[in-house]
Amino acid sequence: MSRRDPVLPNAAIVARQEYGSRVRSRLFHLSTVLLATLAVLVAFVPFFVRVVEGRAVTTIGVVSRDDALAGRSIGILESVLNNAAGGSDKSFVVLREPDEPTAIAMVEAGSLDGLLVANRLPSGQLAFAFHAGEGLGEDRLQQVAVGMFGVAVLDYSANNPLSGFQLPSIDLLRASSPGGGSQPISGAEYAGRRIVGIVFVVLIFITLVIYGMWVAAGVVAEKASRVMELMISAASPRQLVIGKVAGIGAAGVTQMLGILIPAIIAIVIEDPLANAVLGPGPSVALSLAGLSPALVVAFLTWFILGFVLYGLIYAAAGSLVSRAEDLQMLALPLSLIAIVGYLQAVLALTGGTAGFIRFASYMPFWSPFVMLTRLAVGRVEPWEVALSLGLLLAAIGLTFVVAVRVYSAGVLLYGQRPGIRAIARAALRPE
Amino acid sequence: MSLVVDRLTKRFGAVLALDGLSFEVPRGQVFGFLGANGAGKTTTMRIALGVLRPDEGSISWDGVRSDDLPRTTWGYLPEERGLYPRMTILDQLVYFAGLYGVPRDVAAREVRDWLARFRVPEFADRRAEELSKGNQQKVQFLAAILHDPDVLLMDEPFTGLDPVNVALLREAFLELRDRGKTIVFSTHQMETAEAMCESVAIVDRGRVVVGGPLRDVKRSTGRRSVVLGIDGDHRFEWLAAVPGARVVRPGMDRSLLELDADVEPGAILAAALGRGLTVTHFEIADASLEQVFIDHVGRPADEDMRLAPALASSAATTDSSAA
Repeated sequence: MSRRDPVLPNAAIVARQEYGSRVRSRLFHLSTVLLATLAVLVAFVPFFVRVVEGRAVTTIGVVSRDDALAGRSIGILESVLNNAAGGSDKSFVVLREPDEPTAIAMVEAGSLDGLLVANRLPSGQLAFAFHAGEGLGEDRLQQVAVGMFGVAVLDYSANNPLSGFQLPSIDLLRASSPGGGSQPISGAEYAGRRIVGIVFVVLIFITLVIYGMWVAAGVVAEKASRVMELMISAASPRQLVIGKVAGIGAAGVTQMLGILIPAIIAIVIEDPLANAVLGPGPSVALSLAGLSPALVVAFLTWFILGFVLYGLIYAAAGSLVSRAEDLQMLALPLSLIAIVGYLQAVLALTGGTAGFIRFASYMPFWSPFVMLTRLAVGRVEPWEVALSLGLLLAAIGLTFVVAVRVYSAGVLLYGQRPGIRAIARAALRPE
Repeated sequence: MSLVVDRLTKRFGAVLALDGLSFEVPRGQVFGFLGANGAGKTTTMRIALGVLRPDEGSISWDGVRSDDLPRTTWGYLPEERGLYPRMTILDQLVYFAGLYGVPRDVAAREVRDWLARFRVPEFADRRAEELSKGNQQKVQFLAAILHDPDVLLMDEPFTGLDPVNVALLREAFLELRDRGKTIVFSTHQMETAEAMCESVAIVDRGRVVVGGPLRDVKRSTGRRSVVLGIDGDHRFEWLAAVPGARVVRPGMDRSLLELDADVEPGAILAAALGRGLTVTHFEIADASLEQVFIDHVGRPADEDMRLAPALASSAATTDSSAA
């Protein structure tokens, strides 16, 4: 087509129409309410667990070759942890464990929630190592550290009052870290970041696949009802494709916000609510510590660009079929591309092969998943971000040209199943 | 000022859809674009709209090639009818008009005005899926004209309409023509074209086989017609004795007869009177457009819509004659 119509205002008119028709539909309202309810319920799971379990007992083991040191450690830790938890019942039980490797394995397996290894160095200094299980919150670790300092003070006053006080060495170790073995953790970062990473990857996957299908289904519906004939005479394929992707994308964002905002509010009010209803206790809410403003900006950037890329492909694919039933055949191959990206992102979250994940984080169809995960849980160089974004933008430009050409040819086909050759010919045809 | 289609050629793979198609429509005329299915009518319209590119040739309006014309030049009623099923008529017509740059309030006013003229003002707030096919067709007609285009391209506008709606749409066509709009409509219904068009083009396999003012086209074969009424006889069996004359549109009161070029109309009258019949009506006319079409194209325009010969009975006839 050689007529060059400006993108605006028609793309905006189409986008407004697409947005309005979706957010006004009963299905949209129902699905948003349903998913938001589900998200709030999931956010409240820790609260419900606390309600059901009441004061569940957390067991901490202590290993030490020195009986006196072990006894002091048990006494101090029980006192510090249970006082902090409040109430009269004992939430924390501290037991002596005979063998260090066995006890560490118990922490890894989850049968112990934490393990304190207390030893006295030849210099007289106390050396503590604390292996924290996954279920033990960050606030508890701080109390354990305070407790260990208390043990050192008590030990000093009981054994060595004439010489100077030596600060104990304290190592806090997390049972299952990204590297596989126990490594020192830094603050609340890792757990929170991983949660945020998982949430973002799931959100992006849902967005791209479900809302991408909305785009394709919208195109097919216009073809099936034959209203497409009126549309292509009133607006150019470029205007229609941009309007459709933008309008449906905006409807997707609206639904996403409708689901996320109640969920975030639930997370924020969960602790105060738990304390008000169940009395003072340890924090139950999911940690939002990993949700930095930069990560939110990155999420929005990759979400928008990723949706544009996938939305263009779904629009072109939708133009190639004439009936809603035929769309089902396209759904799986189209979502496969996203599924591959999603799986790699999950691998990245669990410490998969670094080289391939790094490569995938630059690749346009996968980078919305994988780069976002890397940004959430790892270190990413600025040049890597620039490369990933640059390739994604270039891919969007190229896909846009091809998608508009395929769409122009596809919307005129009724009842015919275009072959690969016909699609390729349409894609290569100059506009 | 005119619409010029100049040597348009378009190929879809091995199929030659348009083969140097040319015609011209002066401004303010109703033009009939006549041909069977697959003759190239829709392809020509899509090229004018910019939806398809021609391999060769061009379409221009007022000397400007279609590529350089704004979309608002054209108003298009597609052959494949369709609306958004769950959207109200008012909303979708305002939406379509908006794409052509018509402000919402102006479009809404125009929609209500036209619906009132079509005697269906209550349609404004109804969903398209609640309307009959014929009424949806009227709505689509409005979608084509709300932006006040110079040229209306109507692809089979009367197909599927009942006589009342055909009359309403015809009236609307003529009103738009009187406002100076140029109307090109494709059809394979020759009677409709004959009743409305000032000029026509008959197309076959992507070429114009004959075109021009309606009267010239009707006289292009040299045939003439006679409208004949005989008191007490509508079968006209006696006509078999007049070579080159046949009934093409039988009627109980009057029938239309086609005459070959070498048959004088007076011979028909003489034959009827010679048999002592009472002639109640005798009128000499040009050949019908349908006959002109058959003469030029070799088959009726709506051949694919007619019953095929009954194969079983024809086979039986062949067998018995062979015996």
